[in-house]
Amino acid sequence: MSDTSSVIEFRKVTKRFGDVVAVAGNDLAVRAGEFMSILGPSGCGKTTSLRMMAGFEQPSSGEVFIRGENVTGVPAYRRPVNMVFQHYALFPHLSVADNVSYGLRQRNPKPSKAEIDRAVDGALAMVRLEGYGKRRSYELSGGQQQRVALARALINRPAVLLLDEPLAALDRKLRRDMQIELQNLQRDVGITFLLVTHDQEEALSMSGRVCVMREGRIVQTGSPRELYDQPVNRYVADFVGKTNFFAGPSPAEVLSIRPEQIEIATSLSALPEGLMARLPVRVLNRIFLGEHTEYVVVSEKLGEFMVMAPRKSERDAGVYDIGDMIAAGWRAEAERILPNT
Amino acid sequence: MTTTPRPKLVTALLLAPAGLFFVFLLLAPLAVVLLFSFGERAPAGGYVPAFTLQNYMDLPARGKAFFNTLTLAPFGTLLTALFAFPMAYFLAVKTSPGWRVALLILVMAPFWTSQLLRYYAWMMILGNKGIPGWLATLGIADVRIINTPWAVLIGAVYGFLPLMVPPIYVSLEKLDKRLLEASADLGATPIRTFLQVTLPLALPGVATGSMLVFILLMGDYILPQFLGGGKVFFIGNALVDLFLQSRNWPFGAAVSVALVAIMFVTIYVYMRFVLSKSGTRRAALV
Amino acid sequence: MTKTPDYFPARNFIDELRRYQKGSVTRRHFLGVTGLGLATAVLGGAVPGLRPRKAYAGLTGTLNVTTWPNYFSQENYDNFTKQTGVPININVFGSNEEMLAKLQAGSTGWDVLVPTNYTISTYKSLDLIEPLDLKLFPNYDPAQQDPRFLGPGTIDGVTYAVPKDWGTTGFIVNTKSTTENPASWKDFFALAQGPLSGKATVHDYQLTTIGSAAKSLGYSFNTVDPKELAEIEKLLVATKPHLFAVTSDYQPAMRNGDAAMAMCWTNDAAQLNRDLPEMSYRLGKDGGEIWVDHYAVIKGAPNRDAAYAFLDFILTPSINAKEIEAHGTPTTDARVLKLLPESILKNPILYPAAGQLSVLEYGAAETLTNPDRAELMARFKSA
Repeated sequence: MSDTSSVIEFRKVTKRFGDVVAVAGNDLAVRAGEFMSILGPSGCGKTTSLRMMAGFEQPSSGEVFIRGENVTGVPAYRRPVNMVFQHYALFPHLSVADNVSYGLRQRNPKPSKAEIDRAVDGALAMVRLEGYGKRRSYELSGGQQQRVALARALINRPAVLLLDEPLAALDRKLRRDMQIELQNLQRDVGITFLLVTHDQEEALSMSGRVCVMREGRIVQTGSPRELYDQPVNRYVADFVGKTNFFAGPSPAEVLSIRPEQIEIATSLSALPEGLMARLPVRVLNRIFLGEHTEYVVVSEKLGEFMVMAPRKSERDAGVYDIGDMIAAGWRAEAERILPNT
Repeated sequence: MTTTPRPKLVTALLLAPAGLFFVFLLLAPLAVVLLFSFGERAPAGGYVPAFTLQNYMDLPARGKAFFNTLTLAPFGTLLTALFAFPMAYFLAVKTSPGWRVALLILVMAPFWTSQLLRYYAWMMILGNKGIPGWLATLGIADVRIINTPWAVLIGAVYGFLPLMVPPIYVSLEKLDKRLLEASADLGATPIRTFLQVTLPLALPGVATGSMLVFILLMGDYILPQFLGGGKVFFIGNALVDLFLQSRNWPFGAAVSVALVAIMFVTIYVYMRFVLSKSGTRRAALV
Repeated sequence: MTKTPDYFPARNFIDELRRYQKGSVTRRHFLGVTGLGLATAVLGGAVPGLRPRKAYAGLTGTLNVTTWPNYFSQENYDNFTKQTGVPININVFGSNEEMLAKLQAGSTGWDVLVPTNYTISTYKSLDLIEPLDLKLFPNYDPAQQDPRFLGPGTIDGVTYAVPKDWGTTGFIVNTKSTTENPASWKDFFALAQGPLSGKATVHDYQLTTIGSAAKSLGYSFNTVDPKELAEIEKLLVATKPHLFAVTSDYQPAMRNGDAAMAMCWTNDAAQLNRDLPEMSYRLGKDGGEIWVDHYAVIKGAPNRDAAYAFLDFILTPSINAKEIEAHGTPTTDARVLKLLPESILKNPILYPAAGQLSVLEYGAAETLTNPDRAELMARFKSA
């Protein structure tokens, strides 16, 4: 009954470290060829999940399948998956080429030297590091080391490439570039990528599907759009994108309205037609973000909330100053009642 | 522009103690030894100034001592490293941090008792009422350990383990455990991971420990005297006899110069070899 | 049938260790083999409240005495300090050769030295010790010394050193582990190569090892004749593979049964026999060494006055008797003999029959400096 299209599957996987439950009875399926992310704050169990896929940890209960085969209890060196470590974990005593060929050299039978050399050249070309084979890893920049780590893993054509916060050590600009590069690479090689990150923007921008975790449990799995538009609870709505929370119809519920779905105008009458809510508000703060301007406003009834105004309206209506009395409102579709968990 | 000389002066002052130590306690005595090695033995023993190469030509008279030292010292170093590595590995990798300190102290503990007392203990352990006596009760009779090269090697392993374990321990402790995971992840069995990652990365520690032990073993004479019973004759023993018994200082000086030269060359070659082979020069420094 | 196991129980092990620790070890070589060379202990220090006795009034400073390990009475030395206000700094050495090497190297700051007979003429010719002024230590009485011990300290009628204690170099046999009954050095070397192969030890010391081997071949204990030395070398090198050890620290091997026969000095013999009655000490019928240690004063001693005061003090018969009781080595002084208990006087190890002594020889000065004997010893040791 396992879905044949899934390369990695967790069935009721639980991991305990002493009294601490790091992963609590999760089911998860990674589909062949997709780019999936596991998103969550530190300590949510995402890295432990990844390590159970790689084989560094074994589940306390439950089963792990790779390509439909039960690999529970199988050690890391016998699993057809490879990992890119957070700090790359390149071997300092080996050249770049020897790092990249490491996986091939562990095979039995060992490929010929010519085969290995050809594969290494190909892998280095793939990550745009032609001619770097003889260098030592510590002679390379962070971005280059990152790419060596990728080549070292991808050369083995793993069933799944596991990426443990691979971009965390890079600076912001480089991180953007590498995100794009990773996406292109994944498309080119057609290998399933599973990325673990705490950076929601990274997860949303790169992956086809995102799995949000909290305290060892999977809260929601879906496309970035689904998570953004249809979060299953307050936690997902808060973690994926920015939102305003207001008191819900009952204490167990909460009202969520995304800041970009709130309209603002100079006065209540200047607001467009068809809005469900219309309120007078005062501007408390304004942050210019380029294509958007972020306002914090306060209404007598609802308190403070955030509004994201696109550039277009700014041109139309001008920039509101702190202290200005203006009006805000939203359509019925913007309101989302979520469980307060 | 008074700022530039000052750091230089400070540097000079900071280096002064080590520099003076080096010059007066190492270079100056070495110069004296070199000078003496060209002299002649006074009739009643000691040194009279002269210039002769006779002392160097007489070196083959201590050929056996050089041979014993140059075979047993490297072998003893190797054995010590072979025993120390698993201990250091256990301490650095398999032991919880709480136990680590206690166990490290235990490794060093033998240093707190007199070396002579420890060698006397070994004389009894290796003597005929010790291990050979035990073996005899098991039916393995006439095993001779004490006063053989094996006894000296056992003593070397025992005596120098506390010097060999810490440097290896440090290099293993420094070793990034993620490298071991990376190796396993790439398909290497635990044994291959050990051989391809752990061992090469611990080599700087092994090299440091080996140098310490090798140098001490090359110059040792108490160990061969006690556990070799005067039947295992090292250069150190030859030197003690030449300086303190027959008082042929010039010949003793020539033997010393030869010993220092051999040590120097051996260490140089060894360090070059180990560091270039393992390629860990940089990694060892980082 | 219960039988005591051959291997040692843990408690014996500790006892043995303690014994070595306390210093029941070879006089001459223990520190020699450790190479520590010189161990210094400051005794007394400042002893306030004790007035120097009148006879020793006016002494100041510290007295440096250079001697052998376990070769003095601590109580006597403490009393000297109490009476004179002069603390004693003790330097102990492993061998005469080492003492000489140190003195040759210069500026030792020593005052009193305890050299063995065969070294005194060399010290004198190297101008390292001074002719003694006998008037300065009236408690020494040459007339009361056994005349045979007065020779080595007197050169051309001048006294350079006065006798302290004497002894012999023979061999000790564990009569429980062998039924062999060696009586000569010839027997010794024959047994070492034959029935007691792997169970005999000789000294790590050219004088006694070469000398005793010489006796077994019928040569002088002190031979430096190249032809005779060549024969001695052949004998020693042939014996070497059969020896248990070449060591002057043979008590441990004798005690735990590794060795059954050892070249041995009087005081080691006395200690071994005291603890283990099966240890039988013999002097070679074919000869061997008799030795006598002396007190001498270093030329240019920094504290010459205290040095003479010390000689006067320590050679006082009642005080000297306490010395002998402390370290057990035979005295040369007839007045001291009268004060010693029967147990010491009747001990044949300490006081062998006069007939046995007549064949023994003193070590000769030449052996100390002869390069051939030194090289022979080195070749033997590295063989």
